[in-house]
Amino acid sequence: MRIKIDHTKCTGCKLCEVACSLQHTEAINPWRSRIRVFIGEDFCLPVIAGPYTEAACNAKGIVMVDGMEMDGCVVCRASCPVKTAFKEPDTAIPLKCDFCGEPPDPQCVRWCEADALTIVN
Amino acid sequence: MFGWKGKILRIDLSRGNCSVEDIAPDVRTDFIGGRGMGLKVLFDEVDPLIDPLGPQNKLIFSTGPLTGTGAPAGGRFIVVSKSPLSGAIANPCCGGYFGANLKFAGYDLLIIEGKSPEPVYIFIKNDLVEIRPAGNLWGKWTTETERQIRSDMMAESDAWEINNMSIVTIGPAGENLVKFACLMADGGRAAGRSGLGAVMGSKNLKAIAATGTGEVTIADVDGFKNAVMEFLEEGRENKALEKRRMWGTWSLPGRANKTGTQAALNFQTGYSEEFTKYEDPAYIRDRIRVRDEACFGCPFACSKRSRIADPEYPGTTKGPEHESMALLGSNCGFGGLDDICRANYLCNELGMDTITAGATFSCAMELFEEGYLPEKDIGYPLKFGNTEAMFELMKKTALRRDFGNLLAEGGKAVAEKYNHPELYMGIKGMGMPAWHPQGFEVIGLQYATNNVGGCHTKATLPFYEGRKDPAHGVEWTKKDQDYIAVVDCGVLCWIIYHGPLWGEKLLSWLGVTTGIDYTEEGLSLIGERIWNLERLFNLKAGLSAKDDCLPKRITDEPRVNNQVVHLDRMLPEYYRLRGWDEKGIPTPEKLEQLGLTKEGAGVK
Repeated sequence: MRIKIDHTKCTGCKLCEVACSLQHTEAINPWRSRIRVFIGEDFCLPVIAGPYTEAACNAKGIVMVDGMEMDGCVVCRASCPVKTAFKEPDTAIPLKCDFCGEPPDPQCVRWCEADALTIVN
Repeated sequence: MFGWKGKILRIDLSRGNCSVEDIAPDVRTDFIGGRGMGLKVLFDEVDPLIDPLGPQNKLIFSTGPLTGTGAPAGGRFIVVSKSPLSGAIANPCCGGYFGANLKFAGYDLLIIEGKSPEPVYIFIKNDLVEIRPAGNLWGKWTTETERQIRSDMMAESDAWEINNMSIVTIGPAGENLVKFACLMADGGRAAGRSGLGAVMGSKNLKAIAATGTGEVTIADVDGFKNAVMEFLEEGRENKALEKRRMWGTWSLPGRANKTGTQAALNFQTGYSEEFTKYEDPAYIRDRIRVRDEACFGCPFACSKRSRIADPEYPGTTKGPEHESMALLGSNCGFGGLDDICRANYLCNELGMDTITAGATFSCAMELFEEGYLPEKDIGYPLKFGNTEAMFELMKKTALRRDFGNLLAEGGKAVAEKYNHPELYMGIKGMGMPAWHPQGFEVIGLQYATNNVGGCHTKATLPFYEGRKDPAHGVEWTKKDQDYIAVVDCGVLCWIIYHGPLWGEKLLSWLGVTTGIDYTEEGLSLIGERIWNLERLFNLKAGLSAKDDCLPKRITDEPRVNNQVVHLDRMLPEYYRLRGWDEKGIPTPEKLEQLGLTKEGAGVK
């Protein structure tokens, strides 16, 4: 099972961040969410937290999305020492998507009204 | 405490310092947040007689208990101040992410007072608050300002942190104290009405950037989740909301025009030939839409980002919404989509309210065509539909150059200067919005009695069940005004929550979020208290019953549907229902019932 992201449908409402932080922390705080939405001027880009890497990579560069230049760190799913996203704000403990437990029921997908997030088996 | 953060951040720009204060629990429960709490602070701290552009005026950014919770369409904030355009209370509502970010930073309210000796912007990240020089930002258009602040931060933050930050800014219009300058947030959202951009400019404050890593808590988490799920499900079934999601307000210009109730040619008519093409909203969507753009926590994403192919207008902007299309388009005598987009783009970038800007230009156009305003004064043959002259003058208005210096004072000043005040289609100085009151009499009453002036967002448009019957129009007006006051306390979105459709939702959101057992009667009392306190502020500021009026064109000249608005019949009934005397002053009994006796002392 995985969560498929169609960024062309994303409206940037950030309800996925709300849903995720509510599920994992019982409060609303996008910085404690395992999914983040990057708001571009002409498009939005949801990114789901992947595994933690202990070192910052050397491959940091520019990635093209829809003809727009994007900071490679935005598209990257990893939580790493140099990135602010996907880390507990107070303790810097890395965060990773767990599909909202067993059985998997990702809340971000349930709250996404734009169908930018869908479950693919 | 749930929902609220319970804190006020107060920044004194004169002294260059800031402080954090607690919000008293009874103020929270009695005024909820947003429009209510901001009003309470303004009323307690600001003398209504001050010069709105002087250092004694305050600019209050006010969120509500629902802001930042993800309660659908509840991510907004209100800016409360005294308006330089009307001299009355001002409380424009704005979307985007700024409200939510202010909450995550730990504050319900942000109060800006005093005046900085030089241009500055404010940076807020949790409890780090800095007043930073903005010399390099002064004079820049709004999008450029935002970009510059973000790019200046690259040295200290990473891409996510910069992206998460929300920025409210003014354009050149605000800097130059244009009376209808607005605040722009997050690349295209506007706190538009009332000219608060000029108040921000008068404080030498160019922008506010806010971000926070804190949380907003909910009293009943499971109840909240269930309520959201239920709401989303209902929302999918709801035809009206489906339309909003698809078209935003783009379904309205064609509809209003078809029924002949669209502001056209300075409200001389209600119909524009060029607008017939908008009867199919796909005409607009297919041509200019880039993407749907949601505010924080809104599943409906009604606002649309747009682009036109014209190198002089690069990039994208938000809108044009219905009101902008009508006031800047049909009301100024043109209807081409690209031209309307250009006008909307200029307003957004220069930081001007599209509605009052449109009303001001249409007034100048009529004055010119009638021969009251000579071309040598304007510098252009400002006929209806002369877009080229209009766009040039818009830029000059923002900079207060040439004739733009007079236009910057608003249409009322222009019409008065040329001895035809009756030709400005505004109320309390503020331009009237798109729906022609002669299409729906009750709208006339709503515009006339609105505490902020000619504005459509403080009551419910009379298309909804029960509201069409003029016999009950006055009653509904009072009821809806009180209800919307509470919606604005949430701060929920007027677009989604007005009308009978979602009225009952308000209660459940406030209940599950704050844990306080609000009742329907309790909330309507709060709404009424807010409406009356705003009225008291206006009365103390020198406004009176004679300001509850409509342009003569609306009350005396049947232009649309062969109908005039009988304000003289509705107004006494309205005052009576409000518990006000014939001069529109709240009676002592009413004030006592609302707990406002102290506030109302000495008002006459």
